[in-house]
Amino acid sequence: MKISVKLFAYYRTGRFSAATKEYPPNTCVRDVLRHLQIPEKDLGIVLINGRFVELEQTLKEGDELSLFPMVGGG
Amino acid sequence: MTDDVSSAKDERYSRQTRFAELGKEGQKRLADARVAIVGCGALGSTQAELLARAGVGAIRVIDRDYVEVSNLQRQMLFDEQDVRDSCPKAIAAARRLKAINSTIKVESSVADLRPGNAYDLLGDVELIMDGTDNFETRFLVNDLAVKRGIPWVYGAAVGSYGITMTIFPGQTCCLRCILPDPPGGVQPTCEIAGVLGPVTTAISALQSADALRILCGHAALIKPLLTTIDVWSGDLLQGEAPPRNPNCPVCGRKEFNYLEGQARTPISLCGRNAVQISERTTPIDLKALGKQLASVGEVKVNEFVLRAHIGEFDITVFPDARAIIKGTSDPVVARSIYAKYIGI
Repeated sequence: MKISVKLFAYYRTGRFSAATKEYPPNTCVRDVLRHLQIPEKDLGIVLINGRFVELEQTLKEGDELSLFPMVGGG
Repeated sequence: MTDDVSSAKDERYSRQTRFAELGKEGQKRLADARVAIVGCGALGSTQAELLARAGVGAIRVIDRDYVEVSNLQRQMLFDEQDVRDSCPKAIAAARRLKAINSTIKVESSVADLRPGNAYDLLGDVELIMDGTDNFETRFLVNDLAVKRGIPWVYGAAVGSYGITMTIFPGQTCCLRCILPDPPGGVQPTCEIAGVLGPVTTAISALQSADALRILCGHAALIKPLLTTIDVWSGDLLQGEAPPRNPNCPVCGRKEFNYLEGQARTPISLCGRNAVQISERTTPIDLKALGKQLASVGEVKVNEFVLRAHIGEFDITVFPDARAIIKGTSDPVVARSIYAKYIGI
């Protein structure tokens, strides 16, 4: 299934800003993090189609997954 | 001193009171409001300026640092003279804010927010603005805010990216619902990844808009949203904030480790190869220390700060005995320098 993945802030470094990725059925958010090598400990917020979800949330065809780190500068 | 400008209160705020949703009633509430701004860098100085211009009656600016030339690109309240004077940011900010609006009360606190002073500095305000640059201080703010039920406005920025979310303790998620522990790994900092003025200004403008709504009595208008901006890629995104986490160490389990001082460590400053240390609880006489250090290095001292260049280290000491040791990121080395030149 095709998932539109959007990354924010420093998650983009060495990866991408937005890309359509192919994942097998029943892929959950945690699987995508593993695939993209984003440590769970660093993760701020996960949204699917603009709504907050947990890491166990299963994705479905056409979902837009957005991954945000919490940043500390100011 | 009262003159035509400082006494023209109605005219001063006329463009804001004509905005019906705020109105004269909102303006009155702003005049009675008391706010603390924690950290007066890029975010904090823009927040402070916007809130002072809007007529927030009492603003307390808390910052532990002094103005450096690399701040001028984005930190709106400061100028070259502040850099030449090694002026503490809280002092420079208060001076500028009073010049902008002499009718409000501005308190400056040249201090590191820590468990020992958090109640004094934040306990009497109705809103806390996040202008800090590290998670440890934010976790301390979050502890105090949840314990006292004070709303606070999280905001942060690095590179071209910024994020903000307003936290109403007991109603919305708190910062630790999202981040139970400080993020691991190497985090990008403003010193390493850089930071653009437009993103810090955009984030602090959004934070300040929420502040005005809260202080005017319109907190209910604020939706539980997280707003992110990337001023370089042009992405603006709002998403639903997470719900409260029943297992949150702070708003769920009521464990206030940062406020109780159990989590405190020396803070390595924002990638600057520097460590801050507060080993003493008693204040320090900067002039006396300056005389002492003059024999071992180059020393500049005024009533607010002492700066000494000794060997490979730059040591900055504040009257509350806090020191920033530049030239190392190792707390052990910093402690040793502190002990050697300042005394524990």
